[in-house]
Amino acid sequence: MSANPASKSQPVSALPPLSGKPMRQVGSTGPLVLLPNRCTGCRTCELACAFAHSEDGNLGLSRIRIHPAGPDRYVQVTCLQCVNAACVQVCPTQALVRNADTGAICHDENRCVGCGLCETACPFGHMHFAVEMRKPVKCDLCGGRPACAMFCPHEALEWR
Amino acid sequence: MPIRFKINDVAVEAKPGEGLLDVARRNGFSIPSLCHLESVPAIGACRICLVEVRRGRRSKLTTSCNYEVLDGIEVSTDSPEIRRHRAMNLELLLARAPSSEAIRKLAAQYGVSQPRFGPIKYNPLPNCILCELCVRACTELGHHALTTVGRGDRKRIGLPFNKPADTCVGCGACASVCPTHCIPMTDTLTKRAIWGQKHDFVRCSECGAPVITKKHRDHAIATKGLPEDYYDVCQSCKQIATSQRFAAIVW
Repeated sequence: MSANPASKSQPVSALPPLSGKPMRQVGSTGPLVLLPNRCTGCRTCELACAFAHSEDGNLGLSRIRIHPAGPDRYVQVTCLQCVNAACVQVCPTQALVRNADTGAICHDENRCVGCGLCETACPFGHMHFAVEMRKPVKCDLCGGRPACAMFCPHEALEWR
Repeated sequence: MPIRFKINDVAVEAKPGEGLLDVARRNGFSIPSLCHLESVPAIGACRICLVEVRRGRRSKLTTSCNYEVLDGIEVSTDSPEIRRHRAMNLELLLARAPSSEAIRKLAAQYGVSQPRFGPIKYNPLPNCILCELCVRACTELGHHALTTVGRGDRKRIGLPFNKPADTCVGCGACASVCPTHCIPMTDTLTKRAIWGQKHDFVRCSECGAPVITKKHRDHAIATKGLPEDYYDVCQSCKQIATSQRFAAIVW
């Protein structure tokens, strides 16, 4: 990693080497690790997430986002599954509960009344309230097989 | 001491006091319903979640949402008899809410396309089926701003005594849970209009987008114990700020 802020983009050789592991890994337990220095901004993760969570691949329902952070620099942001999560704290109906197997805070549609407080409370902006559905949209780590990590062609998302 | 009983001849376990519908759904049985959420009290209003419960030699049709599970009962979630009753109830609901997408779909599954009844005469909130899910959700959230107004065929959902209510914070949970999406709620950049009242929005300090109604924020600050500045910025601006913080760590 370059300490010099003047260098506009990193040479490819400075990136961590690809591990050569097969893309689809099954049976690992997480966590989901974001590695922005490997991200090329191709947005395959957004598409994979959208298709994993909706039949028509609605990108508005994607739980992961790529944000540009300067020339040739991209940052993936998705729910961090906080230990003391603000969304869980504010939810008036206990509709956000942590899944013991994956560690993901999951949204329970059978409990949610759609007040929208979780979206406002999340200090990282990772809780998105879908206005048409009137339900929050939140990363659930795909129940233990995150589609974003499986489809990322550059291993910028790792499910360790 | 868990309660053991059978759903469609499959043995299941439940805690005492649990509702039959919740237990059935947790175990993967699908029972249709319109007015039930686990987080609000069940009242058996829509009557679509009918099941047959056999206890000893007696059997009866009952709504599963507000039926407390008992030891040794045998539940059937689908039979011609159950389907006949659900179809009848859906026909009645369809007469009340003819243009509701959710009810039309469900009714079509039970072979009902056109109700023999209706249209109903007094209908101040078109498509409302009076299931009171909005009322129960509002009560559960602690606002107590909604109730039923009137009696008999003049019964409707509204603010208490049909007068403006101070307790409504404009969170929109009633509009979210409504199975027929019949509660009108319109948002502009500055105000949310619902139940004939207007609520001011808190505007994002970065981009000016509406974040949350001021009353809802004040209620949340008073009850949830999060710092006040958590409610100042909109979701997209927070996300951009997060990405910039990540970038500062990496590069």
